[in-house]
Amino acid sequence: MTALLEVKDVKVRFGSGQGLLGRLGFSSGGSIEAVAGISFSLQEGETYGIVGESGSGKTTLARAIGGLHHAQEGSILFQGADLRGLAEAQFRGFRKDIAMMFQDPIGSLSPRLTIKSLLTEPYRIQGLKDRDLEAEAKRLLAMVGLPADFAGRFPHQLSGGQARRIGVARALALDPKLILADEPTAGLDVSVQGELLNLLARLQDKLGLSIIIITHNLNVVRHITDRMGIMYLGRFVEEGRTDDIFAQPQHPYTLALLAANPEPDPDAQLARIELKGEPPSLIQRPLACEFHPRCPFVRDNCRTGAPPGWQSSSEVHSHRCHWPADWQNAEA
Amino acid sequence: MAITETKSDSFKTRGEFAEVLHHLVRDPLGLTGLIIVSLIFTAAIFADWIVPYDPIALNIKDRMQGPSMNHLMGTDQLGRDTLSRVIMGGRIALQVALPTIGGAITIGVLLGMIAGFGPRWLDNLIILFFDTVRSFPTVMFALAVVALVGPSLTTVIFVIMMTSIPTYGRVVRTQTLTLRNSEFILAERSMGASVGRILAVHILPNVLGPLAVLAAMDIPTVVGLEAGLSFLGMGVKPPTPSWGSILNDGYSLIRNTPWIIIAGGVPLILTTLGFTFLGEALRDVVDPKLRGRR
Amino acid sequence: MTADILKITDLSIHYDTPRGALKALRHVNVSVPRGKIVGVVGESGCGKSTLISTIIRLLANNAKVASGSIVFDDQDLLALSETQMRGLRGTDISMVFQDPMQTHNPVLTIGRQMTDIQYRDKSTTAEKRNRAADMLALVGIPDPVQRLDQFPHEFSGGMRQRIAIAMALMARPKLLIADEPTTALDATLEVQIIKRLHELQAEIGCSILFISHHLGVIAELCEEVVVMYAGEVVEQGSVRDVFHSPSHPYTKALLDCDPGHIKEKTRSLPTIPGEIPDLVNLPAGCAFAPRCSQVFDACRSNRPAWNECKPGHHALCHLAETETVS
Repeated sequence: MTALLEVKDVKVRFGSGQGLLGRLGFSSGGSIEAVAGISFSLQEGETYGIVGESGSGKTTLARAIGGLHHAQEGSILFQGADLRGLAEAQFRGFRKDIAMMFQDPIGSLSPRLTIKSLLTEPYRIQGLKDRDLEAEAKRLLAMVGLPADFAGRFPHQLSGGQARRIGVARALALDPKLILADEPTAGLDVSVQGELLNLLARLQDKLGLSIIIITHNLNVVRHITDRMGIMYLGRFVEEGRTDDIFAQPQHPYTLALLAANPEPDPDAQLARIELKGEPPSLIQRPLACEFHPRCPFVRDNCRTGAPPGWQSSSEVHSHRCHWPADWQNAEA
Repeated sequence: MAITETKSDSFKTRGEFAEVLHHLVRDPLGLTGLIIVSLIFTAAIFADWIVPYDPIALNIKDRMQGPSMNHLMGTDQLGRDTLSRVIMGGRIALQVALPTIGGAITIGVLLGMIAGFGPRWLDNLIILFFDTVRSFPTVMFALAVVALVGPSLTTVIFVIMMTSIPTYGRVVRTQTLTLRNSEFILAERSMGASVGRILAVHILPNVLGPLAVLAAMDIPTVVGLEAGLSFLGMGVKPPTPSWGSILNDGYSLIRNTPWIIIAGGVPLILTTLGFTFLGEALRDVVDPKLRGRR
Repeated sequence: MTADILKITDLSIHYDTPRGALKALRHVNVSVPRGKIVGVVGESGCGKSTLISTIIRLLANNAKVASGSIVFDDQDLLALSETQMRGLRGTDISMVFQDPMQTHNPVLTIGRQMTDIQYRDKSTTAEKRNRAADMLALVGIPDPVQRLDQFPHEFSGGMRQRIAIAMALMARPKLLIADEPTTALDATLEVQIIKRLHELQAEIGCSILFISHHLGVIAELCEEVVVMYAGEVVEQGSVRDVFHSPSHPYTKALLDCDPGHIKEKTRSLPTIPGEIPDLVNLPAGCAFAPRCSQVFDACRSNRPAWNECKPGHHALCHLAETETVS
């Protein structure tokens, strides 16, 4: 099985070379690297989770893959073709294979259009004139479990959960091979979150889609992703099979994220790993190990030397840390 | 927090226009504005049938009369019926205002959207144009153009249109700038929508609402400008009746009869009030979030 | 002095809408004992925001109090004049809002804002500044004295929420109302804030009314919990009772849905099908009946009573009746 998508050492920088002054070399602030070398691959029918907190660069990464941001370095191979640096016109050919979903369920729907127009927008954009738009709208609504009379409504008349379903339906309109879902459960109540994740899982089983889910919520990735990467300051600190990472997290940041999820049980035994301070700014990245100022297990060489390259704890699970959690000796 | 409606109920899709109208007539200010504006339009459209006399027919015998049953608003120094002239003047005023504002909106929207969505240099260029035009005093600009090509209705329309473009253009540009980074525009881009499609289908409908308000408030300004230019003899050429030229006549005869200046001034004030009321009410009504707060 | 700092009894709030009265709150009873943290849980549309707005009297114009009373520190809040109410806000009752990025005035330094809110105090500016710096130190802001001269945009979201908490606690209020104060924050920061709130509450001894949709946070922070659904309190009791033996099917379903609860990997997560009822045309019986998995005939026709399941633990459900048949 070949990879559907192969992302190799992708970097996205902001703030340099933009504007006249920048181009003439008068750049004032210097650039920040929002995505600082990310690599991963995605097989057909697989779900990949990209987890990180605000400012980790996860949304930028998704948009770079989706061709909405320019990635300065690396390669993004989709079915063997490099998407990085393609002009809009060249990218257009891939648009029907790569569908995106955005964070705000209602805000990502054009407010003056009816649901029917919104759902059939992809056909009109791609110039598929032979389709019966009425029938397609009905088919898509049925696919995500909404009644057909929704076609006449406007986005602001929907609840968050319903709007999110419309977003899913529209993403599926052109039978894409890959869906990039940025925080698909943001703004949804817990009782509706599950509904949406179930829907995605069901559609994936039925249609054989590949999905990339970008989220800050570990609970979201746990159940529906096969593999995942944990992002911190634009880099992965740990990557591998979801089950492995949940079972034996290696990087202290992963440990902290997993622990920072209060359970609805007042008597739960809290083995909390508290991080110090806040994520540093991308303009002044910490030296040596970038996580060391916040790391609860920091040791001397973390402050002086960059962590070693990718270390594998198993064939499909790797991390970058001087002192990964030692599960063999149960001393963390 | 203002609770307006729960999500699941307001599907009786009345259509945007009917919805706006529905809320407009419930607002006393909006209703007043709407009535005045409709009256002005009706009078202008059916002017030929309404006017009791030919507005340019001379009748030296009956000159400078006060209001009477024969001449409801009296006559001027040439014995022309003032009421007829005022009604016809209203038509002229709208003939100037509507194309002016229509033209200014069309060009303003186009330039504003290009500035807001296009590359930075184009934005700067258009803004430079806007600022240049805006820095001329309208009346000076008008006088210069009139001096070059002579006074005429077309000149007035052209001058006022040119000077109003930046007002609309700037509003549209700002709105476009905010919208261009919104998620629904990103979503359209991710589906491969062309720039033209994004502008026409997704941005245009969202910037038109505020423009309608602006336009309604602008009509009195334009009418006033036309009256001012005509008053100065730089606008509509006599004997064509215009509110400005009526005022001009009345001004020179104010010692003989006050009726002419009243007859020319009152409709101008009414127009201003009517459109301003309508504009104010529209502003609240076109924004669904402000709807029903009064 | 009564045992409860805040006692809301039988509160109903209706909004005037073109379609009729929207009954946003119906017969709500909530009490916050002195020195305790009470959590209010509910999903969107449950009436949490209306409840807070009513307490601090910042309701929309089209809202009216249909019934009930709010007694705060032995005075009836609904009977107070606007001026008296303003005197309470920010001194005896403080608030922390959801979005830390919008709570501060962007053009004033943090120090200026923190001294300004002490305007009722007669002390000198230097004293007020010192107090502000102490307060910042208390919520865990490093170098508080230097940071007083910074503007809000120079702080991160987590910092700003700490500052908001510091400002809210500055006047040593008797009651702190926290409206989803951690929702906009990342998980690792959320944990920090919760911990800090816990410590501060113990230190200052105020009561907290903590509103959240996040069950885990409530479980960790609060002693008592009030569960709201579609404008009603459906269950109330100690956190332990409610979370360990929920009596209302909605609470049960909500707990089941919480992904933190589900340890086994599954591709079919539990959900609560359906939508909240239309608050203008409410169903005749129980408001939750259309979505309830244990619904039976009585639920559709009769409004359930406020049944006591065990001392201090109540539920608005026909099923909770069985133990206390009268």
